[in-house]
Amino acid sequence: MELILEQMPIVLPALNAGFIQTLKLFLVTLVGALPLGLVIAFGAMSRFKPLSLLTKLVIWIVRGTPLMIQLLIIYYFPGLVLDNPIWGSGEKGRFLAASVAFVFNYACYFAEIYRGGIQSVPIGQEEAGLVLGMTKTQIFFRVKLLQMIKRIVPPVSNEIITLVKDTSLSRIIALQEVIWAGQAFMKGTQGISGAIWPLFFTAVYYLIFSGVLTVLLGKLEQKLEYFR
Amino acid sequence: MKKLLALLLTGCMMAATLVGCGAKTEAVADADAEVAVEETAEVASDLAYVQEKGVLVVGITDFAPMDYKDEAGEWIGFDADMAKGFAEKLGVEVEFVEIDWDNKILELDGKTVDCIWNGMTLTDEVKAAMDCSNAYCNNAQVVIVPAEKAADYQTVESLEGLAFAVEAGSAGEAEVTALGLNCTPVKAQSDALMEVAAGTSDAAVIDSLMAAAMVGEGTGYADLTYTVGLNSEEYGVGFRKGSDLVAELNAYFVESYAAGTMQTCAETYGVVAALVEQK
Repeated sequence: MELILEQMPIVLPALNAGFIQTLKLFLVTLVGALPLGLVIAFGAMSRFKPLSLLTKLVIWIVRGTPLMIQLLIIYYFPGLVLDNPIWGSGEKGRFLAASVAFVFNYACYFAEIYRGGIQSVPIGQEEAGLVLGMTKTQIFFRVKLLQMIKRIVPPVSNEIITLVKDTSLSRIIALQEVIWAGQAFMKGTQGISGAIWPLFFTAVYYLIFSGVLTVLLGKLEQKLEYFR
Repeated sequence: MKKLLALLLTGCMMAATLVGCGAKTEAVADADAEVAVEETAEVASDLAYVQEKGVLVVGITDFAPMDYKDEAGEWIGFDADMAKGFAEKLGVEVEFVEIDWDNKILELDGKTVDCIWNGMTLTDEVKAAMDCSNAYCNNAQVVIVPAEKAADYQTVESLEGLAFAVEAGSAGEAEVTALGLNCTPVKAQSDALMEVAAGTSDAAVIDSLMAAAMVGEGTGYADLTYTVGLNSEEYGVGFRKGSDLVAELNAYFVESYAAGTMQTCAETYGVVAALVEQK
């Protein structure tokens, strides 16, 4: 215990720096994947068969392969096969590659949630809108969208909480997020070696962060309650 | 009939996707072609490639005393300092990048790093995947046991029956397997130490340089110690296959050994006893 208190001032800043990477990846993924998911959902629901089939094929590939493999392919493939390491070797390139992988992966999951939300609005509402002379676009934005948003909040929250923890996968391409930072003290860094507790301590960061998110998303759900 | 049509359509889509993918790859390759024209020599000369981009990217892990950070966050260590000197001789900047050790060959071949310079044991696997420099340091694999049991395990024969933890793919694993001892592969040498500390394994096998830094009095594993040395092995620097940087580095090693700068550097980091003569 004494040793832990002694090591705390060195370990915490390192873990904080790692957690900032985790947070950055989390935010970039949300900002990118939430809208991209909608585009993909429209693709999958398109009445133009080739487009919807192609989109579904992409969704199948992305959801059907482990995110870890996708990270490895996106980061190493350009240099290994195309002989052109487009991402670069530094922290920035690794972060960019991880962001692309995460945005694309999560967009595909969000797309399926959106599709479920949109299709859960009763067909009668669309028919009513058409009778009233509204266009399809008007019907989507004025009738369906809000109802869909209300319905998808719980499943999207679920994905968001999963995303918090999935960011740790990015350590496979040596992005130095919080778990990497914690493990570094086991191998030895900054004069501390063989310290096991920092690795387990990273769990506290995840717990606090997902706790905050749970509260926020719960509030959002309440706000949308009037819409029942 | 409908089913047949659906199947046909699916087939068409698959083909279209594949063609699409192929075309995309070509487009990228075309874009590269322009760059490649002026870099045709690149395949032949890694040296020219590194000098053109002006930076030697060194793949490392945080591994005292070879590569580690000082208080200011600067990479130092025997390997780091030698790498700085080598880059200076080539007339390029040096950049240290922390990598996942499991992916070192991917990093090297994917050109995200230009060399692996991190107390790397020259195993057959390493030599098969990379072109390596001459050995510059000696190292041994040592057995780690709890200090209070150390007296019982001073010979290779006494190790029989112990449950070992070793790093997967490491020289230690090869040694233990060769002796026919019971072992569990774990992800890293540090994990192997944790296994012993937690009592989930009786003993571990790790690098002696690492053992000196990580176990015993004043370290995080004060109640562990090392006993038997299993084999001796050598450290080298890894480059891409066919790289002309290997010859450059060997020449640099000879030069700095003759000038005594390599020995001075080794003294700074306490690895003088392990240093291999360069000639």
